[in-house]
Amino acid sequence: MLVSKSRATNSLLGSEKKSLLRFFALYVAMVTLLIIVISSYYYQTQEKLMLSNQRATLFKYAYIHAKRLKVLHHFFDERTDYPRDPRFKSAIYDIEHMPIFSILEEKNVRFDEEITMVGDHIHFLKSLDDFYLGTKYIIIEVEDDGLWRELIWKNIIGYGLFSFFFFMLFGLYLAKLFLKPMRDSIVLLDRFIKDTTHELNTPLSAILANIEMMDTEVMVEKNRTKLNRINIAAKTVSTLYKDLTYLTLEQEKENENEHIDVKALIEDRAEYFTILAQSKKLTYEFDLAPAMIFMDKRKFTRVIDNLISNAIKYNKRNGIVGFNLVQGELVIWDRGIGIKESKIPLIFDRYIRFNKSEGGFGVGLSIVKKIVDEYNIHIEVLSKVDEGTRMILKW
Amino acid sequence: MVKKILIVICLGSSIYAEDAFERNCVACHQELPASLQEMFKRYLLVYSSETNVKAGIKHYLKYPSKDISAMSDLFVDTTGIKKKTTLSQKELDQAIDIYWEKYKVFGKLK
Repeated sequence: MLVSKSRATNSLLGSEKKSLLRFFALYVAMVTLLIIVISSYYYQTQEKLMLSNQRATLFKYAYIHAKRLKVLHHFFDERTDYPRDPRFKSAIYDIEHMPIFSILEEKNVRFDEEITMVGDHIHFLKSLDDFYLGTKYIIIEVEDDGLWRELIWKNIIGYGLFSFFFFMLFGLYLAKLFLKPMRDSIVLLDRFIKDTTHELNTPLSAILANIEMMDTEVMVEKNRTKLNRINIAAKTVSTLYKDLTYLTLEQEKENENEHIDVKALIEDRAEYFTILAQSKKLTYEFDLAPAMIFMDKRKFTRVIDNLISNAIKYNKRNGIVGFNLVQGELVIWDRGIGIKESKIPLIFDRYIRFNKSEGGFGVGLSIVKKIVDEYNIHIEVLSKVDEGTRMILKW
Repeated sequence: MVKKILIVICLGSSIYAEDAFERNCVACHQELPASLQEMFKRYLLVYSSETNVKAGIKHYLKYPSKDISAMSDLFVDTTGIKKKTTLSQKELDQAIDIYWEKYKVFGKLK
C-alpha cells in the first residue's frame, strides 16, 4: 500500500475527506441532474414557442397546397405535375399513411402531432376532409434556420454554468457546516493536549534523570527489577510527551537540516528502546549498511522513535523487531499483530488507534506522515494480520 | 339505374374481353356520361386509400344503393342504380384490382 505524500492530506483526516467526497459526489450529481432537468424543460418550452410562432405561416401554406391539390384532382390524369412552391416542400399521404407523393427532405413523418421538429426541418400536418387524389394528410416542410436553438443553447450554457458555480459555492458552505462538529472536537482535543503536555515536562525530566543517576550495582535484584519497570514506564511517557510536544509546539520551529548518519541514529534509538523491547522479550535483528539523509535530526528522530515504538508496542511476546538499511531505503519490521488491509489507508490519521489495549493518543503515525511528506520521503506500509508489518521509507 | 344496368350488361357480354375488368365493366361504362376515371376519382375523394377504395367499390357492387353511391345525386338520378353483381367473389376481386391498378394515383405524379 503506497501512501500518497501529498501535503494537502494533512489538512483533512481521511475520514473527513471520505465524508466530504461522498457529500460532494452526491451534491454534484443532484445539482447536475437538477440543471439538466430544468434545461431540458426550458428547451422544450422554447421549441414549442418557436413552433407556435411558425404555425400561422405553415397553416397558410397548407391551405394553398390543398387548393392546388383540388385543382390537380379535377384535371388528373391529363395533368400529373405535382404542385411545387419555392417557399416550402410538401408531401401527400393517404388515410393509411401511405405516401402518394413526396418532395420532403426529411422523410421521417409524424402523424400524431400537428407541428414537429424533424432534424433541421419543421413539419406541419394538415388533415383534409375531402381526399383530393386520395390525400388525407398534407405535410408542409420548411427549413429551420436554427437561430432560436443557438440562442437557447447560449442561455442554457450561460445560466447553467452560473447556477452550477452558485450551487457549488453553496455546497462548500454546506460542507463547512457539515464538518464543523468534527473539526471542533479535534480542535478541542488539540488544545487539551497542548495545555497538559506543558505541565508534564519538569516531572518527567526529573524522573528520567534520577533513574539514570541511580547506581543499580548496589541494588538488590528485586529493587533493580522495580527500577527497570519505572524506567520503561517513564520512557513510554517520555516518547508520548515528545510526540505531543512536537505536535503542538515544535512543528512550527525552523528546520535545522544536517547530514545524518542513519545507521548510528537507528542503533542509538534502538538502544534507547531496549528496555521496552526486553519487557516483551523481543529481539532486534539488524541488517544495516551505512546510509545518510539530509534533514532535521529532531524530526528524523521522531520518525524513527515512532516506528520503533510501534514495532515494539504491536509485537507479540518473544517476537522480533527488524531493521534493514541501505542508502535511500529503511525498513523497520515486526512479527506482530499486523493491520487489516482496509485499515491501512487510515493509520496516518490523527487520533486513530487500532488496538485500544495499547496506550497512546494515536498521534505517532500522523507525525511520521507529516514529517515524511515535508521531506518528500515515500512511506509504504505492508501488513498482514497475525504476520506482522513492514514500514518502508524511501528517500 | 342505367349505370347498374350497364354494368350487368357488361358482365353478361364480357366473354370476349381480355380480362375480368374489360370483360365485365368497360363496355357498359362506355355508355355512361361519367368515365371510369371520373368515377375512380370520386371513390378516391371519399375513401382515400387502396384498401378503403377497393372495399367501397366492392360493397357498392354487391349492395348497390343510392345512399352509399360515391357519385352525385344528379348522376344517380339520371343513370339509376346498377343491379347487384352476379360475378363470383374471385372475379369481382380481380376486376376491382385491375381497376385500381389502371387508375391509381401512386407513381403517376411527377
